[in-house]
Amino acid sequence: MSVPLSWYLFLAAALFCIGLYGVLARKNAIAMLLAVELMLNAVNINLVAFWRYLRPVQMSGQVFAVIVIAVAAAEVAVGLALIISVFRRRKTVMADEIDLMKW
Amino acid sequence: MTTLIWLLPLPPLLAFFAITLFTNKNRALSHGIAVGAAGLSWLGSMIVFIRALGIEEFGKHFFESALNWLPVGEAWFQVGVRIDPLSAVTLFFVAWTVLMIFIYSIGYHNYGQPKGDDDHAGLPPHGKTVTEHGHKHTVPSIEPMYSRFFAFIGLFAFGMFTLVVSNNLLTMFVGWEIMGLCSYLLIGFWYGKPSARNAAVKAFMTTRVGDVFMLLGIAYLYSATGSLSFTDIFRPEVLEALAAASTPILGLSAAGLIGLLLFIGTVGKSAQWPLHIWLPDAMEGPTPVSAMIHAATMVSAGVYAAIRMFPLLSLDSGTMTIVAFIGAFTAIFAASIAVAQNDIKRVLAYSTISQLGFMIAALGIHAYVAAAFHLITHSFFKALLFLGSGSVIHGMEHGVMHTGEHSVDPQDMFNMGGLRKKMPITFWTFLIGGFALSGFPVLTAGFWSKDEILADAFAHGHWGVFLTLAVAAFFTAFYTMRQITLTFLGQPRTKAAEHAQETTWTMTLPLIILAVFAVSFGWVGIPEHFPLLGNILPNWFHEFVGGTLVEIPEVPAFSWIPLATSLFVALGGLLLGWLVYRKVKTPAQDRLQIPVLKNKWYFDEAYDLLFVKPSIWIAEKFTSLYMDRTIIDGILHSAARFSLSLGHFFRDRIDKPVINELLGDGTGNAVKTSGSGLRKIQTGRIQYYMVVSMVVLIVFAVLYFFLFS
Amino acid sequence: MNFLYSHILSLILFIPMLAAVLVLFLPKDNLKVIRWTAFGSSLVPLVLTILLWIQFKPGVDGFQFTEQATWYAAINSSFHIGVDGLSLTMVLLTTLLTPIALLASFNITDRVKTYMFLFLFLETGMLGVFLALDLLIFFLFWEIGLVPMYFLINQWGSEKGERILWKGIKMEARSYASLKFILFTMAGSLGLLLAIQMIGVVVGHFDLVKIFSDPNWLNSSNLVKIGALTLSVGKVKTIAFWAFVIAFAIKVPVWPFHTWLPDAHTEAPTAGSMILAGVLLKLGAYGFLRLVLPLYPAESEKYAGALAFLAVMAIVFGAFASYGQKDFKRLVAYSSVNHMGFVLLGIAAAAKVAGTLNANIALNGAVLQMFNHGLSAAGMFFLVGVIYERTHTRNLDDFGGLFPLVPIYGGMLIFTSMASLGLPGLNGFVSEFLVVSGAWSVLTIYTAIAMLGLLFTGAYILKGIKSVLHGPMNEHWAHGEHKLTEINLREIIVMAPLMVLILVIGIYPAWILDVINKAMMMLYR
Repeated sequence: MSVPLSWYLFLAAALFCIGLYGVLARKNAIAMLLAVELMLNAVNINLVAFWRYLRPVQMSGQVFAVIVIAVAAAEVAVGLALIISVFRRRKTVMADEIDLMKW
Repeated sequence: MTTLIWLLPLPPLLAFFAITLFTNKNRALSHGIAVGAAGLSWLGSMIVFIRALGIEEFGKHFFESALNWLPVGEAWFQVGVRIDPLSAVTLFFVAWTVLMIFIYSIGYHNYGQPKGDDDHAGLPPHGKTVTEHGHKHTVPSIEPMYSRFFAFIGLFAFGMFTLVVSNNLLTMFVGWEIMGLCSYLLIGFWYGKPSARNAAVKAFMTTRVGDVFMLLGIAYLYSATGSLSFTDIFRPEVLEALAAASTPILGLSAAGLIGLLLFIGTVGKSAQWPLHIWLPDAMEGPTPVSAMIHAATMVSAGVYAAIRMFPLLSLDSGTMTIVAFIGAFTAIFAASIAVAQNDIKRVLAYSTISQLGFMIAALGIHAYVAAAFHLITHSFFKALLFLGSGSVIHGMEHGVMHTGEHSVDPQDMFNMGGLRKKMPITFWTFLIGGFALSGFPVLTAGFWSKDEILADAFAHGHWGVFLTLAVAAFFTAFYTMRQITLTFLGQPRTKAAEHAQETTWTMTLPLIILAVFAVSFGWVGIPEHFPLLGNILPNWFHEFVGGTLVEIPEVPAFSWIPLATSLFVALGGLLLGWLVYRKVKTPAQDRLQIPVLKNKWYFDEAYDLLFVKPSIWIAEKFTSLYMDRTIIDGILHSAARFSLSLGHFFRDRIDKPVINELLGDGTGNAVKTSGSGLRKIQTGRIQYYMVVSMVVLIVFAVLYFFLFS
Repeated sequence: MNFLYSHILSLILFIPMLAAVLVLFLPKDNLKVIRWTAFGSSLVPLVLTILLWIQFKPGVDGFQFTEQATWYAAINSSFHIGVDGLSLTMVLLTTLLTPIALLASFNITDRVKTYMFLFLFLETGMLGVFLALDLLIFFLFWEIGLVPMYFLINQWGSEKGERILWKGIKMEARSYASLKFILFTMAGSLGLLLAIQMIGVVVGHFDLVKIFSDPNWLNSSNLVKIGALTLSVGKVKTIAFWAFVIAFAIKVPVWPFHTWLPDAHTEAPTAGSMILAGVLLKLGAYGFLRLVLPLYPAESEKYAGALAFLAVMAIVFGAFASYGQKDFKRLVAYSSVNHMGFVLLGIAAAAKVAGTLNANIALNGAVLQMFNHGLSAAGMFFLVGVIYERTHTRNLDDFGGLFPLVPIYGGMLIFTSMASLGLPGLNGFVSEFLVVSGAWSVLTIYTAIAMLGLLFTGAYILKGIKSVLHGPMNEHWAHGEHKLTEINLREIIVMAPLMVLILVIGIYPAWILDVINKAMMMLYR
């Protein structure tokens, strides 16, 4: 009855693509941040799936997933702070309008 | 005794230092010190002289003392003093003339007169205007540099005494040059006058020509014999060695060449042709200076040196011929110029040159004693004549100031005339001096000494010298009488001459004393065979001075021919001079004012063209400008220029284009252009970057997949 | 006392340098303290030198009061100093002239501290050359002396004037002069350094005493050490000889290397000219006597004629050039060329007949002439400085008839001029006479030609006196703000020791000549 590994992988790939699409296509920085979260979670699914199916005795897969979650949390915190800071100065969160680094 | 001789030159030197350093503000003290010093030296000289007279064969047992002066290798070069018969008699006349001239200078420089109205140091005093009995007139004023004069003549006397007492050529040369310096300083005493300043330089430079040769001669002698003391040099074996050694110059022996070099020094110092040009100009100095330096002592020192070196000179007949020629030629040459001069002092200057020529000529024909005799008598009467002329000038100046006719030259004889009544003492003493110079028979000293020279020339068959000197002696008598006639006889030709006045006793006393010697000194050297007089007085001078040499030279046999000649030329010349000039009133009436004589045979001009101008050209243009600045510095600057252009080449052709532009700037520019191209892709949009990086990732992944797996 | 005598040379050598450093720590604005400190401390070496002179034993062979310390052991160079009669004379000249020059510099108001520092530093440099017994030390001090002099000319030199180099290129006169001075000397030093290195490599050390003791110091066996050179011993020696000669000839200076001298002397400050003429020129002549003649006797003999030729050219052309000058200081500067020519003439004569009595006489004359020229040239430059300071002109045509205004100055000028002219009774005559009589039989023709220079010595000296003191008075200096003031007490004190020595040596030269004579006899047997 078990679900084969590939299904998880497909799910993760789909999720990753949605995230990728979000990052590249959305203009809103918050939405981009959300999309990044999707991609991270796609990776988590992969990590957990591989751990469960290939090396269930070892803890490393789970540990990686936990680290990714922790990093994602930190990243969101920093990312949101930056976006708020940008918003305060430029009154916008649209990525193509934040082009201070342009030559 | 030798201690006293060592001390002889010192008082005047100390006087010089005392006056320059301490007493120059106090005139009376200054001249007191100077005259006192001259007096001390005089006293010492007389003691030495009298002691010398008392010694049998003094020529062999002379006074000598020496001490170590310069260390040379293992040995010492010694200097010392020596009084032998020659230097004893020289000392005698030097001491007398020096003392007389010192005393004379007091009066000459107007001691006791007020300070001038606008007198300046460096110019002769112009006189002071005083108001007496309600009307103004000018009286002579005191010399502004009174003390300095006495300091200088003090130093001069030191030089002269040093020269006389030296036992060697080196200290003799020291005295010689110190006198040269004093001569320079005293000719240029009134240095504010350009003529005096130029005359001083001319005198120093002309005599220095001779001195330089003399120094060479001394150096030669020293390296040849290893000594400079007369005692060593005149040893027969040394002289023989010198006479035997040959030199490449003129075929002379070493002795001859050394003698010639030393003699050139004499030519310069005693103003012999061709170095005679300085002496007439030297008359720019005050008259006591002319009397002392340029008549009695310094120029005589030249002859003294030649007489002193006679044992060496006489070794080579070639040198002796040159000496005799120069002496005889100078005697007649200078006498010819003297007849056309109008300045009272210049006549005497040329006369001095001429008389010194007599002595040199005498030396050249081996008439050793005659030369020394004439040297001494000449010193007395020429000093007398110069001091007399100074007295005349002084009297004339008094007249000029009294009348206020400042255009009248007090030295021009044509402005004088009739002074015998105004200035009797000066006249009689001048007459004695003039007659002595002319060789007035029997009475005067000049006759005996000149006669001895002629007799010597005649006896030894030197016809050329004999005739030349006879003619010169005739000229001498002629111009002397011309001078006496124009100055003292006849009637005054100017107002100034009418108001001329006899000078003070400090000036006339020396005249009288010197006049005594101008007459009497001849009596010590009357030849034994002279008719009548020969037996009355012994020929002391010949015995005494001749004793200086190893063998006393024999007295020439008596002959009537030279005696008749000297009688004829002396009396004839005097008579002719009186006959011609008693009528002459102005220079225009004087038929001897021939341009060539007046202009001294154009020697000044010729020397100027031949030596002075080229030297100045070499100095100002050739050496400093062309050689140093243009050639040497030019080479340096070219090197600098070359280095500079080499540097520019490296900078402009290599550093700048290749290293700076190609390598340095090129790299930078390449980075810059590529950067500015690449920066186009930096849009600043995060999503653009993400797409790019994803595309790149995919591309690399695909590449990796196909190429490496 | 023992310590004093065993280290007296080091003390003489380094006290000026210590004093120089001390001067740096003094307050900048208190000129009086700086001046007196510098002057006072320069008297110490003089006193020590006089002590040294008293203690020195002229007849003893070799060097005395030697000191040796390790310095650069890797190449066998040690700090070795000592004196003999030759260097002692020169040391006395240096330590005598430095205080005099410092006293003469009391009128300097611009950067006094640096000035005094450089001057004292210079003294150490000069003394070092005279004292060194090690070739490397010799070279070291040789170069040390250059630097302060360069700055003294460059910074304190006369402010006026410029020199046209070539079309369109001009340079400030003092920069030109200082540059010329240093470039000339450096050019000579180059050869000197190479030649010294060659000696060092060949013999394995730089110690002069040891080199002197081995007359055969350069031979074919040790020449191999130089390696790739395939020259013969004779050629190597000739090249090294000329390297030394040119270095020293530039310093003396000998015609045709002399053109730096008139520029440098003219532009330098008064005291700088005094030291330049008084001591620095002697370094060159000292080099000839200390190194060239003893190290290369054969070559010296061979080329003595050439040296004499150069010397005579210097004598004659120096005199002529001097006579041609319109600038009083330049006139005096050229007179140095003339006078130093006699030193070289004496050296050339001695080189030709080393060991004979004539050589000894000529050398005595040459060394005494060095000392005498130091006195008279320093005096002359100072007197020119005195009148320049008052009138701000050196052009002879601007003066005239100044004697009544400045009688004391005039008397001193005549006195010193006469010493320079070589008047018998003053010092110059003794040395010139010795040189001439030593050289006469050796180099007859050259000596005879040199007399032409001696004649013109008179001409230029008299030209100076004539233009400055004699003649109609130039009224410009007689009244008002330009009124010429008489020489002051300080200046008289500067001149006094020079004049006294000039007279003393002229009258009784034996006290100094005895030391020189014995040294010369032992040095060149």
